Amino acid sequence: MATVTPDLQRGAGGEGSNVLRLGKPFRYTVLILVGAFFIIPIVASARFSFLGNNNSFTFSAYTQLFGTPQFWSTLWLSVKVGVGTVALTLALLIPTVIFVHVRLPRLRRLFESVSLLPLVIPSVVVTLGVITSFRNLPNIIYGTPVILALEYVVLALPYSYRTFDSAVQSIDLKTLVDAGQSLGAGWIKLLRFAILPNLRSGLLGASILTFAFCLGEFAVASLLSFTTFPVFLVQVGRLEASQAVALSLIALIFTWIPLALVMIVFSQRRGGRRGTGIESAIESAVAD
Amino acid sequence: MSETTEVATSLGRGGVEVELRGLSRFFKETTALKSLSMRAEPGELVVLLGPSGCGKTTALRMLAGLDAPDEGNILIAGKDVTSLPAAKRNIGMVFQSYSLFPNMTARENVEFGLRVRGQKSKERSERSDEMLSLVGLSSMADRFPHQLSGGQQQRVALARALAIKPQLLLLDEPLSALDAKVRAQLREEIRRIQLELGITTFFVTHDQEEALALADRIAVMHQGRLEQLDTPLSVYSSPATEFVAEFVGTVNRLRGVVVDSETVDVELVGKVAYRSGQAMSPGSRVQVLIRPESLGVTPANDDGAEVLSRSFLGASTKLSIRNPGGSAIVVEVSVAEAAGVADSANVKLFARGEALLVRPAAV
Repeated sequence: MATVTPDLQRGAGGEGSNVLRLGKPFRYTVLILVGAFFIIPIVASARFSFLGNNNSFTFSAYTQLFGTPQFWSTLWLSVKVGVGTVALTLALLIPTVIFVHVRLPRLRRLFESVSLLPLVIPSVVVTLGVITSFRNLPNIIYGTPVILALEYVVLALPYSYRTFDSAVQSIDLKTLVDAGQSLGAGWIKLLRFAILPNLRSGLLGASILTFAFCLGEFAVASLLSFTTFPVFLVQVGRLEASQAVALSLIALIFTWIPLALVMIVFSQRRGGRRGTGIESAIESAVAD
Repeated sequence: MSETTEVATSLGRGGVEVELRGLSRFFKETTALKSLSMRAEPGELVVLLGPSGCGKTTALRMLAGLDAPDEGNILIAGKDVTSLPAAKRNIGMVFQSYSLFPNMTARENVEFGLRVRGQKSKERSERSDEMLSLVGLSSMADRFPHQLSGGQQQRVALARALAIKPQLLLLDEPLSALDAKVRAQLREEIRRIQLELGITTFFVTHDQEEALALADRIAVMHQGRLEQLDTPLSVYSSPATEFVAEFVGTVNRLRGVVVDSETVDVELVGKVAYRSGQAMSPGSRVQVLIRPESLGVTPANDDGAEVLSRSFLGASTKLSIRNPGGSAIVVEVSVAEAAGVADSANVKLFARGEALLVRPAAV
């Protein structure tokens, strides 16, 4: 059987084909250089964090960190805020994006643009805006980390909205909703059995990005005087460099573990199914 | 008792009467549907036929409860369901695009409607077996939609729509995404199942051949209005309007002069019989609409008409004839008759059937 393969050696001309013509050694060189650009700082940081007196190998930076109560309390606070932010984000995103796609498709671009605003508006402005908006709420929200979660919902919107939106775009949502309704399903059953299972990757992608954002955000938490994990990292960094580096690596691992797990789960699941926003979500998260 | 008859009996229903009363739908400045009224008898298959944007899908979506009319009422089995939401209408619907839930197998898709109704697993399983067997897909029950071909997906969608024992079946261009062979095959299968189950069905299409082959009656629609609702034979042979004549089948539009109340003298053709509800005074100039198969050709020596091209259709041949006074005339004749005239040869046209419509010529 004849197969058609792209002819990389005989491109039609232009820059792209010139690059391809350089062949495998060039591509591997680029790959190695880019890999080194990311890996060398991490390896160097890891090496530094394990350095003791007289260049000896030691776990002391890590043992001291794990023995510090503030390490666990700040980590726990960041995780709580992250989980809360994810829950709030999903509670807002799911109905909004689905409603826009099914009932107001012409406004999809507008919503997309609005979701990008936190990228162009300085986070200090967003922070003050959210604080002002929720000023009259009871202290249980205003004076607690709940306000931080509210801030993060807005600030993480460019990542969460786009990830979920692209997942919704990958299925024919309107027809699925029509089909489900004509079969007698109300919105709750429709979402539970037919819609959300098909948007699982988009939901996971949006959740992971939001969670990763919460775990790494410093400016707003510091501005609102909450000692979250990144704020603790900065504080430690002022006193003990090796501990700060160790802490950065721990934060990196905490972000990578869930990403890797999701990647493994989805690479096993996908067998033949269409991919959705998960790949781009993970790529963006890793790049962040 | 055949398998399908058993299913029909188990479903315990015949068809129901459906009535649309003055349905209108407006989108800003566009009128999608204007005072659509029609009635489908129990067990009847009505095809809504028309070009894109004629309002046929809008009408179907209103029947399903997926869209609400701005004016008018919908009655199913004598009950006004206009304000009833889609989920409570008990109507089975098959969509143009593949609408199977991607996360579910064929069986789970068929069971979905029963599942949301709270039916037990055993009953659901029995019903899905029955329905998948009805559409000939028992062996593919555990496949996911992406493992099925387009035709198979639409069969599963049909099984899913029928599994809920709907009182009405709606099909919105279910064959348009399929290739010609599968399309013809599935079309026959849909008709077989519909006839055996006796379920009242509305089928939307823009394909006239599909409409003529499937329908008990065809509702031809144009610009949101119903042009004609009649049997396929009547729609084809006695179109109510020029639009129907031109949309359903091919038609030649020729100039003529009225001879008397039954005959018109048509350019290049000669005397042609016609039936007209409208009084035409002898001598008045008219436009005559006539089908290709109502014309015949014989070799001639004069310069009147000339064979431009021919298309062999198997059982017949279509000839394109140069008309000095207008666009080419299409004539469909037997293969033997076509063989009697050569390409570029002069021919004489004659009528072997009646004119479809005779209309006063534009001044």
